[in-house]
Amino acid sequence: MPELTYASIDQTVLNTLTPPKRYYWAIVAVLFLGVLVGAACWAYQIFVGIGAGGQNNPVAWGTYLINFVFWVGIAHSGTLISAILHLFRAGWRNPIARAAETMTVFAVCIAGLFPFIHLGRVWQVMYMIPYPNQRLLWPNFLSPLMFDVIAISTYLTVSSLFWYTGLLPDLAAIRDRAEGTRKKVFTILAMGWTGAHEQWRHYTRGYLFFAALATPLVISVHSVVSWDFALGIVPGWHTTIFAPYFVAGAIHSGLAMVLTLMIPLRKIFSYQKIITQSVLENVAKTIVFTGLIVGFAYATEFFIAWYSHNAVEIEQFRWRATGEYRWGFYFMVVCNTLIPLLFLFKKVRTTIASLFIISLIVNFGMWWERFVIIIGGVARGFSPHAWGLYAPSLIEYGIMLGAFSLFFFLFLLFAKHLPSVSMTEMKETLDHGGSHAG
Amino acid sequence: MNRRTFLKIAGMGSISLAAGCSPAEKNLFSLVHAPDDMVTGKATWYASTCRECPAGCGVLAKNREGRIIKVEGNPLHPINKGKLCMRGQAALQAVYNPDRLKTPLLRDKNGWQPISFAKAQSMLKYKTHDAAQKGSDRVRMLTEVVGNSQLSLFTDALKQWNAPAPLIFEPFAYETLKTANETVFGRKELMSYNMQDADVLVSFGADFLETWLSPVEYAHKFKTMHALKNGQKVPFYHIGPVQSLTGANADSWVQCNPGSECIVALGLVRQALDIRKGKQLPWSFRKPLFQATAPYTQDRVLEASGLSLAFYEKLVIELMGARKPLLLGTDTGAGDKKGLQTNVAVNLLNLLLDPNLTLLDFNNRHRVEIAAARSEVLQFFKSLQSDAVDLLILNNTNPAFSLPPKSGVKEALEQDDLFVVSFNNFMDETSQLADLIFPVAMPLETWDEYSGWQAVNSTLQPAMGRLTPTPHIGDVILDTAFENQKPAENYKTYLFSRLVADRKIIDEKDWVRLLQVGGAADSTATRNSAELDLKPQKIAALISQLVKADATDLAFSAIPSIRFFDGRGANKPWLCEIADPLTRVAWQSPVSMHPDTAKAQNIVQGDIIQIESQWGNLEAPVYVNEFVRPSLLVMNIGQGHQAYGRYALGKGVNPLAILPPEANTESGGPLFSTDQIKIRSTGRTQKLAYMYGSRTQHERPFALTVGLTELNQGKMPQKTGLTMEDFPLTLPLPEGYDPKRDFYPPHDHEKYRWAMVVDLDRCIGCGACTAACYAENNIGIVGEKRVLEGREMTWLSIERFQDPHQKSKVTFLPMLCQHCDNAPCESVCPVYAPHHSKEGINNQIYNRCIGTRYCVQNCPYKVRRFNWFDWRWPDPMNVQLNPDVTVRSKGVMEKCSFCIQRIKVAHSNANNEKRPIRDGEVIPACVQTCPTDALVFGSLMDKQSRVRKLVADPRAYQAMGYLNTKPAVIYLKKVLREA
Repeated sequence: MPELTYASIDQTVLNTLTPPKRYYWAIVAVLFLGVLVGAACWAYQIFVGIGAGGQNNPVAWGTYLINFVFWVGIAHSGTLISAILHLFRAGWRNPIARAAETMTVFAVCIAGLFPFIHLGRVWQVMYMIPYPNQRLLWPNFLSPLMFDVIAISTYLTVSSLFWYTGLLPDLAAIRDRAEGTRKKVFTILAMGWTGAHEQWRHYTRGYLFFAALATPLVISVHSVVSWDFALGIVPGWHTTIFAPYFVAGAIHSGLAMVLTLMIPLRKIFSYQKIITQSVLENVAKTIVFTGLIVGFAYATEFFIAWYSHNAVEIEQFRWRATGEYRWGFYFMVVCNTLIPLLFLFKKVRTTIASLFIISLIVNFGMWWERFVIIIGGVARGFSPHAWGLYAPSLIEYGIMLGAFSLFFFLFLLFAKHLPSVSMTEMKETLDHGGSHAG
Repeated sequence: MNRRTFLKIAGMGSISLAAGCSPAEKNLFSLVHAPDDMVTGKATWYASTCRECPAGCGVLAKNREGRIIKVEGNPLHPINKGKLCMRGQAALQAVYNPDRLKTPLLRDKNGWQPISFAKAQSMLKYKTHDAAQKGSDRVRMLTEVVGNSQLSLFTDALKQWNAPAPLIFEPFAYETLKTANETVFGRKELMSYNMQDADVLVSFGADFLETWLSPVEYAHKFKTMHALKNGQKVPFYHIGPVQSLTGANADSWVQCNPGSECIVALGLVRQALDIRKGKQLPWSFRKPLFQATAPYTQDRVLEASGLSLAFYEKLVIELMGARKPLLLGTDTGAGDKKGLQTNVAVNLLNLLLDPNLTLLDFNNRHRVEIAAARSEVLQFFKSLQSDAVDLLILNNTNPAFSLPPKSGVKEALEQDDLFVVSFNNFMDETSQLADLIFPVAMPLETWDEYSGWQAVNSTLQPAMGRLTPTPHIGDVILDTAFENQKPAENYKTYLFSRLVADRKIIDEKDWVRLLQVGGAADSTATRNSAELDLKPQKIAALISQLVKADATDLAFSAIPSIRFFDGRGANKPWLCEIADPLTRVAWQSPVSMHPDTAKAQNIVQGDIIQIESQWGNLEAPVYVNEFVRPSLLVMNIGQGHQAYGRYALGKGVNPLAILPPEANTESGGPLFSTDQIKIRSTGRTQKLAYMYGSRTQHERPFALTVGLTELNQGKMPQKTGLTMEDFPLTLPLPEGYDPKRDFYPPHDHEKYRWAMVVDLDRCIGCGACTAACYAENNIGIVGEKRVLEGREMTWLSIERFQDPHQKSKVTFLPMLCQHCDNAPCESVCPVYAPHHSKEGINNQIYNRCIGTRYCVQNCPYKVRRFNWFDWRWPDPMNVQLNPDVTVRSKGVMEKCSFCIQRIKVAHSNANNEKRPIRDGEVIPACVQTCPTDALVFGSLMDKQSRVRKLVADPRAYQAMGYLNTKPAVIYLKKVLREA
């Protein structure tokens, strides 16, 4: 990056924080409306009952859990990029780490909402908290849903702190150039950062420890999410490959979402020099890799079903490929494994348009993967008499709309109010092409 | 606003709230004036008689705090022996029906006007006296089948009004059966059958498990006969074009061409005569028969009926070799045109094969025999138009619905100069045509007597406080008809004096004794002499008319429904919501069509077709199934109401719309089938509210069967493996723990480990248990829309599995919570809402449930039900709710609890008496009502208990046992008698 200097990095990034134009606020307002629609749908559901959704007797889990897993999945690549690649000293992650991390925090928040939306009696949710009580009632720590509560809340805590820690020097940089109220706000947010040598020493150490702490979480959180299914005995769920399969899927969808967010951001904020073609290309290469892992997992499931000689498993997978939800299955195979293979061609992975389109396709495909797994398993379970189908209701679509709106609403606010590229880490790349080498 | 005004306004508000908004006082009971036998929290049981169909089963009404909350069979009653069908149990939903009329309604030019009972009665009095003075026969009455006392009161009253005796109308009056009995035995009666003693049973369509004569009685007798006994099973063959529920329980359903049943039966008569069966009978009797049956050679029978030679020969051998064979005639509807001939031939066979008629009981005859023939009913309506009639009184009948539309009921009732009084609690099709609707007390609210058998005394008594001020019809008639010489002060005293006069009871003490028992054999009943009046010429004349079976492309048949009977059940939500046992469709009445016919007509399931006959047309969705013969369309009678309250209105279709209005000329019976129909697709479809995901069980161990020979060879290998096919029976006890298979340690149970044994060989799929469960456990009624969404709440469903190789073969599997020892639901709940009790029960703690629904996801049996909404019980339906069981709110999971409230009662009784609970002391609602004793409940910890002994049966298995859930519901395989 020969043209970049400390000053030009500061200039490019801080330029993005100039007061936004009117159309920005218009988009934010539209997204907020979407959030209100989702909130209204949820309120209606609380009032009349879960029946407002489309769930029924064999399929008691619907889009709420699909979206939960989808958003947790999205959340994964943020930490992967900022923590694991940081530990691996992969310098190409620096330009996208901040945005990816932000995506993680918001996606976890949204994912965390869905279990609440899903609950039949959300007003009694405190029963899941291990609070002392006279009757000595505790939550059931054998339940994968309890694992989930712990895993997701830990992940939210760690990823938020990690994100904020990384932000500190940049917040101080904004504070130094700001005036008026803005200065006051950023003075508080920067927490007295002066850039003293001692502070940098603590900061780089702390960041490294956080990265080390967050790294196992990348693996564990989605493994735990996968156990929500794998620890059930439902055919199509009850399998040991679920943890790696889900982790790979999560990273797959997360990387796709990174591309989906970065490409417009790069264009709008003129980040071409910072987020270079080769950064995007690296992400695309990783997507090919994760896509092959999930493709392998799809194949393994079929193989094991055949190998098991178990009529229930065999029927589950025969039906997955040929039954009522076969299009969901084809979406998932084609969008998640086959189409990303196009990135093997250099032309495809270096063209911005194809990168963007394929990233959207993967996001779509990963949503359907969750549909196929979560709905398919129980729709075609053990009891043939109880087999049944499911289709989301309008209320569920409303809530889904609200969730996507909330995500982009938050991300848009972030992009104009906080530095969407880490100036600190970018400057480090200028010197030694790597991250903080403590 | 200052403090003073605030207080003023607040005070006024609360006073007006207290005075204005509190509901009017409507106490069913008051503790100040409580009856002696009423203890709050304790049930009182009143013996009574079920009046939901003419069978007259004995019931016990459970009264809690002044209201009936459940109706169960009366174990002391000779007819039903403690069992009750779903219709009988749903009688409560008539009493508590939100559409029940509370006051009389008078029609004027502005529509219906509510009037007082006094006014209605004086109006009736005026009308009757006016008509009586004008001349004779100007008052007519049509009544349902009623007890002797009511009938004699009606007759006396009508005499006072110079009018003829009432005509007794039942849509299913068994005219062909009665005429056949008259033809062969010289008795126009409906005897009962001692089916339990038969050693071969052949039925030509009689649906005795659903509606025929007395279904609960026959279900019980049937399983006494047909159950596995000493390695043997009495064969039962069902011959006919439709496989009803009864047919589904036969060893084989033998399809014959529609209308050819009589040819088969006559062929069998010929065979019997050929081998000199019934040689005790005089030759003068047999000779004319011998001549008349000459054309029914084996070849002819096979050709006309389409039966296979192998089957026919087997049937002949089994029947002719049997000691006590029993043959039954046609179905309740007896829609078949040759039904009379079939029934005559059946009677002849019974007579020839067992000249002593040991299985026919002419003393315990069915009460419904007093009903008039359809031809008389049609004549009655004609005469309303032709004669000068001023007043028509209808007692709880609905001819406008249950007679085909062209029968002239509407025209007769709509005459301007005819004043029609309908004694009815509902605005049904007939009441809509009346001028005055007079609601009267329902059977569960009144003193009365009704004996389903002639030789039984069976009583009714008020089992609850009154919800409406409706009088008894007897009191109304007494007050209206008799001026000075009233035969009794009120109907109760009239009833008492009549019973004394008839020597049914001796005195008041005896009356109380009878009331307490509810029903007892009548020692004073006149015994019929065994002498039969045989008239061979008449029989020969009847059967020699036959030439051949009709050949037809497409025929249509309407059959009675186990749920709605003739349609009177259609306003009871339990009956609508419990799916039909064979089609598993709830709330709707689709038309059944064979897959071959559907294919030929290019129709798929759910298509709405129009069926047209010369008498009308109807549109109904198609249900494709193998339970009907190709080229025959079949519909259940009972739905398609145009009135009759919110649950009946607009649900389903009435098949009578396309049936001929006239009666059969030979028997006087109605015609429930026609072969002159045209069908065409409407291009529209309807989603069917069925409750199954697959018709077969996909090779999984759910509903298992075993061949009789295989069972008797005793070669049941010990299962020791870990696969689906080879997993051992693992009892939900510590002894079922095996460290090789189990991850978690076994549960230690305290004294009891509750379990249920379900004998699939005994289950007939009637659904009485499901109705009992709905009543006992306050299960929500979700309605058609929610059933379509897959949100039915039933805790116990009778799953229907068809054999993949022979689709008409059906196995019924009662599926309820299995109360597993390794319950998959328990481990996944984050808040311990499913909780394993010390007695092994999988308790669902409603208060604790937060509605993650993981438990149902993980339940391999899918028996858990989630409250998707708050279900409603429209007032006063809520009065029926069982106070011992929580009503669940939206957002919580629920499921079968093994009727834990009943277990708790047994515990407290046992504690009071300082003893353990005895085996058989805890009887869950489903077990209590099962007409065939297919369900047994008890503790597995007790080595002497019935369940413990039954699990040692070689037929015992656990549904999907290989999942190692260790279910406490243990099934016994259905035994298939090789056909």
